[in-house]
Amino acid sequence: MAVVQPSSPATPYRITGSFVLAARQFPRHRAAMVGLVLLVLICLAAALAPWIAPYDPVQIKLSAKLKPPSFEHLLGTDHFGRDVFSRLIYGGRTSLSVGVLVVVFAFVLGVPLGLASGYFGGRIDNLLMRLVDAFLTFPPLLLAVALVGLLGPDIQNVMLALGLVQAPVLARIVRGSTLAVREDVYVTAARALGAGPARIVLSHILRNVMSPIVVQLTIVFSAAVVAEASLSFLGFGTQPPQPSWGRDMSEARRFLGDAPWMFMAPTGIIMLCVLSINFLGDGLRDALDPRAWRTRRQLSKGEG
Amino acid sequence: MWRYLGRRLIQVPLVLVVVSLMTFLITRATPGDPVQIMLGMQTSKEAAEAMRKEFNLDRSLPEQYALWIGKVVQGDLGRSIRLNDPVTSLLAERLPVSLQLAASAMAFALLVSIPLGVIAALRRNSWIDYLCTGYTVAGFAIPNFGLALILIYVFSIQLDWLPITGIGTAEQVSGGLWTYIKPFIIPAIALGTLQTAILTRLLRSSMIDVLSQDYMRTARAKGLLPATIIVVHALKNAMIPFVTMAAIQFGYMIGIQVTIEYIFAVPGMGSAVLNAVVNRDFPVIQGFTLVISAFFLFANIMADLFYALLDPRIRY
Repeated sequence: MAVVQPSSPATPYRITGSFVLAARQFPRHRAAMVGLVLLVLICLAAALAPWIAPYDPVQIKLSAKLKPPSFEHLLGTDHFGRDVFSRLIYGGRTSLSVGVLVVVFAFVLGVPLGLASGYFGGRIDNLLMRLVDAFLTFPPLLLAVALVGLLGPDIQNVMLALGLVQAPVLARIVRGSTLAVREDVYVTAARALGAGPARIVLSHILRNVMSPIVVQLTIVFSAAVVAEASLSFLGFGTQPPQPSWGRDMSEARRFLGDAPWMFMAPTGIIMLCVLSINFLGDGLRDALDPRAWRTRRQLSKGEG
Repeated sequence: MWRYLGRRLIQVPLVLVVVSLMTFLITRATPGDPVQIMLGMQTSKEAAEAMRKEFNLDRSLPEQYALWIGKVVQGDLGRSIRLNDPVTSLLAERLPVSLQLAASAMAFALLVSIPLGVIAALRRNSWIDYLCTGYTVAGFAIPNFGLALILIYVFSIQLDWLPITGIGTAEQVSGGLWTYIKPFIIPAIALGTLQTAILTRLLRSSMIDVLSQDYMRTARAKGLLPATIIVVHALKNAMIPFVTMAAIQFGYMIGIQVTIEYIFAVPGMGSAVLNAVVNRDFPVIQGFTLVISAFFLFANIMADLFYALLDPRIRY
């Protein structure tokens, strides 16, 4: 998939790859840029937590418990006198790394299954898709709860469970897109030139189903962040005293009236995180879909 | 269409068998012994053996599954190891509560999304359209348990208008209409906000799509009342994808309400599964997941059916 682009009249036509074009298109999506910047900031804060966080996230100081936000404690303190802001920054490490690993897991498991199912069809397709169907009839959160609850509340099990929940969705999307491009002329051409199935699938089909995969992965990421928080909230994820957005909200329930900052801070950061990923996803979807490309003029007129 | 429906219905038991097999394998492949959890560490070997025998846990895995599925076909989901009650009677207690919570959340979603979606589509780029966009964007981003805490803080603690708990209690059922509805309000909003966002966005875009159709211009040219045009010609057509999505989302609700049940102490399906997982109560886990999956499957089939009934152009 490449688009012929006229460059200056003197030089001949140059072929620009679709991903380069998409990358050029992306910065025009204002919300997506905001999302990207926010997400990078949140990730940086989590990565640099030991240097940024003003306090130790697990250090108990009962003399300073349930203090409202102040200059000393930007987001107040919790019932053990721990700094909420510091816990938020450290909690991001778990949430975001779970998000990233679930994305990787879903990709590694879901994409090959979807490609195989869509390309080979027939019995393989039937078998794989019935399995996917069965997985998808489980309510995702309940399946994750069951898996983590049975395997033991451990962050690796959380990742495994969320990956297993998300991979079938991705597999189904990849299968659909593969079916759509399987009969395209360039695939027939590649086959006629003697390319084997591995080469056709990896270098011709995968390239052309990448856009829906990328968009779905942003959805997987935000779903994983929320699901990790939900599991921790229910007591099945991160265990105390380790900081965790979901777990801290669960603790904050007991101090709703006395210390509302305790639940508002994690709620806010989860929202911000999901919001920025969603914006990013919207931008990627538009950038990867040539039909949604807008010219500068349309943008300045406020169309679209 | 009836043939299509028949084909779909035939597939249901097949998918359910796969689901039950998966649940069975997951429960048996993971660590944790229900008998040990139930009886504690200090029990005699004989007592534990007797209990294992009682629940067929001493048999081989294929035997266990065969015995269980044989009973399921006859409508018997076995007995809870923990509570020693039949799973079906536990289900009869829990399912109505979960359904009421799901229905109240869906009622909230419909009450908000229909007017908001229609007005936003009719008045594009107006303040109400921006409000609609803001609401949907926020609704997609906020986790339902976070929203629940915010609502509790504002409406129960600060304003003291609404109770936090009370769903499924005897007083709630025996009281008047308001006593019945009151405890559902906060959980319904917290649970239904995501669905509201999904449905509002869908209705707005399908409404915009319909409004640009030729038959809309024809209707206006005929001199029909604007209200008639909007309700009879536009809304009716825009509702087709909306109704389908609402049915699918309703099927989803029972599965996602576990966090809400946890916060508001609702004796529903989600909290029952939560407890069953902690106690390794295999019959309850297996029975409840089977019912939740079946519910979800039927909601999806209903969605397809609505689609065909509302839109005569659709042929399966």
